[in-house]
Amino acid sequence: MNNRKYNIYFHTHTISGIFICAILFVIFFAGSYSFFKKEISAWQSNSSYVSHEKQVIRYDRLLDSLNQQYNLTGRDISLFFQEKTFDTYVDMSASKDSTLVPKKKPEAKKEKGRGRRREGDGQYFKYNFIKRDSKTYEQSYDMGEFLYRLHFLAQLNQVPIRLGFAFGYMIAGLVAFLFLFALITGLMLHWDKIVSNFFVFRPWSKAKTVWTDAHTALGVIGFPYQFIYAVTGIVLIFNTVLITPFTYIFYDGKSEKIFQDLDYSDAREYTYGYSRLTQKIDVQSYVDRTRKMWGDPFIQRLIVKNYGDTSMHVIVEGTANKKDNFSGTGRVIYRVQDDKIIYQKSPIDNVTYIDRVKSIIYRLHFGDYGGYALKIVYFILGLMGCVVIISGILVWLVGREKDSIPAHKRKFNFWLANIFMAACMSMFPVTALTFIAVKVNSAVDQAFIYHFYFYGWLLFSAYYIFRRNLKRTNQETVLLGSIFSLLIPVANGIYSGNWIWKTYAAGASDIMIFDLFSLSLALVGFYSFYKMKQKDKKDLPAVAIA
Amino acid sequence: MPANKKYLTKSPFQRFLKITAGFIGGYCVMISFHQLFGYVFEPKLVVMTAAITGYILWAVLLLFAFLAEKAWKIWLLYIVLTLLFSLPILLKL
Repeated sequence: MNNRKYNIYFHTHTISGIFICAILFVIFFAGSYSFFKKEISAWQSNSSYVSHEKQVIRYDRLLDSLNQQYNLTGRDISLFFQEKTFDTYVDMSASKDSTLVPKKKPEAKKEKGRGRRREGDGQYFKYNFIKRDSKTYEQSYDMGEFLYRLHFLAQLNQVPIRLGFAFGYMIAGLVAFLFLFALITGLMLHWDKIVSNFFVFRPWSKAKTVWTDAHTALGVIGFPYQFIYAVTGIVLIFNTVLITPFTYIFYDGKSEKIFQDLDYSDAREYTYGYSRLTQKIDVQSYVDRTRKMWGDPFIQRLIVKNYGDTSMHVIVEGTANKKDNFSGTGRVIYRVQDDKIIYQKSPIDNVTYIDRVKSIIYRLHFGDYGGYALKIVYFILGLMGCVVIISGILVWLVGREKDSIPAHKRKFNFWLANIFMAACMSMFPVTALTFIAVKVNSAVDQAFIYHFYFYGWLLFSAYYIFRRNLKRTNQETVLLGSIFSLLIPVANGIYSGNWIWKTYAAGASDIMIFDLFSLSLALVGFYSFYKMKQKDKKDLPAVAIA
Repeated sequence: MPANKKYLTKSPFQRFLKITAGFIGGYCVMISFHQLFGYVFEPKLVVMTAAITGYILWAVLLLFAFLAEKAWKIWLLYIVLTLLFSLPILLKL
């Protein structure tokens, strides 16, 4: 490689890296926790999925009680399930039967959250099939949801900058793209030395080589993983960039057509018939039929169109049992009037190219195709990404601490690195502390988590920015984070009675896993802290940054 | 340790041209290149594949712009390529 190219790779890698590092750290850190989203939700709400796994979901019971409460006639009802939970998001439209709709127009209520607005007396809430209770989205908001949404910056969408798309998602997409760019430049930069330096790691030599080695060694080892995340991440969060021009080139600008073609939506219309269905409505039987047809699939969505009308249809969507098929998604539409299947795409037999590509993107990003072993490996690789980012910041700073660099520039470099380090590293203690807070406080909702997490984060960051000591930032946040993580299972035991041995005995492995996970994280944290301290003693007088 | 300045673009205007060439020009080349496949394969398959290959190609084209000696040359190259790839559309084929 000639010198010119090398230096260009170097410079573009540095600039794109320093540009995105802080946000990318947030994405990686929150995203790594999100592998355990369902476990976190089970943990926080004390409702284990695993210990009720065999329980049959009674859709008819929910629909009957909804019918009594709201009169479902003429409404569309959509139930959206998440794997390994008993929670479902219920989305109910206003009735299409104009004879039932009250003449006086009810005041359009503005609803916050996820930007959905329902017309008339439509409802949107979360229902739990085990506890048989319903909560609004805000009430049911938990740490699993919070960290999951934080990892694509959903909370930033509330920043009042209107560009035509969600602000947070746009930033997340841009960061993911620059991350991809930084990965490519980083690989090119290191290309000549990939083989010879693969095992070079000199942790106990001088500060600069520690960070450089950590950055390149972990970067190269984690490269395939991070590359997958960069690409799938952009696709999942900001594919509009790509879809929009193709909509104009291939589909004359008709976006509903392209979404239909890509199986993202189904534009079928069901015209309301204004005549009552005579037979008894048994939605459950359609689900059971589908289950039998598709060999125990995961039912992801159940949609009922025009409830109680002759035009009533039941749509069941699901994915194949992962033991059978990696990538199948299926949809079946039943016409209730004559009990006929009017459309079917099985998730087992006719898997299309679209299905395959989509599944690869989803499965690889969510890491949900191989049980806990895979999730743990993914989590470790995710945290390795965090280490690569932090060491990248430090390489950047340490490499510029030379006499040849003017003092004001060095001052600025330190100022920037100090802020980045404080903001990034504070995430660990704040996240762990919030987990304890949601256990201590019995009434937790979205507002509580927002306030506790974001103000806590601000306080910690402000403190470490003010301290202006990178070594302290590093060591103290690791220590505090580990202490709080250690207390997570204790808080679960004291406030919910779910001590690890109890959840083990009850077979609530999803709750137990999160406690064990926090415990291991704490132990690793303590060990790193101990190592850092040991190293301090060894090379006194201390280097400015270690 | 920072990159040797000798090899980097000094003029801010040149740098601006390179960044825009890579970002905007690279994007146009990527889209126009992928839509060509729509003449051979079903459009929906092309769109789905582009979800993966498109972003990688775009990132590589962005890097390629920085490697160029002269900014106007890379702009010219990307414009010519875009026009070339979209010839079928321009000629209404």
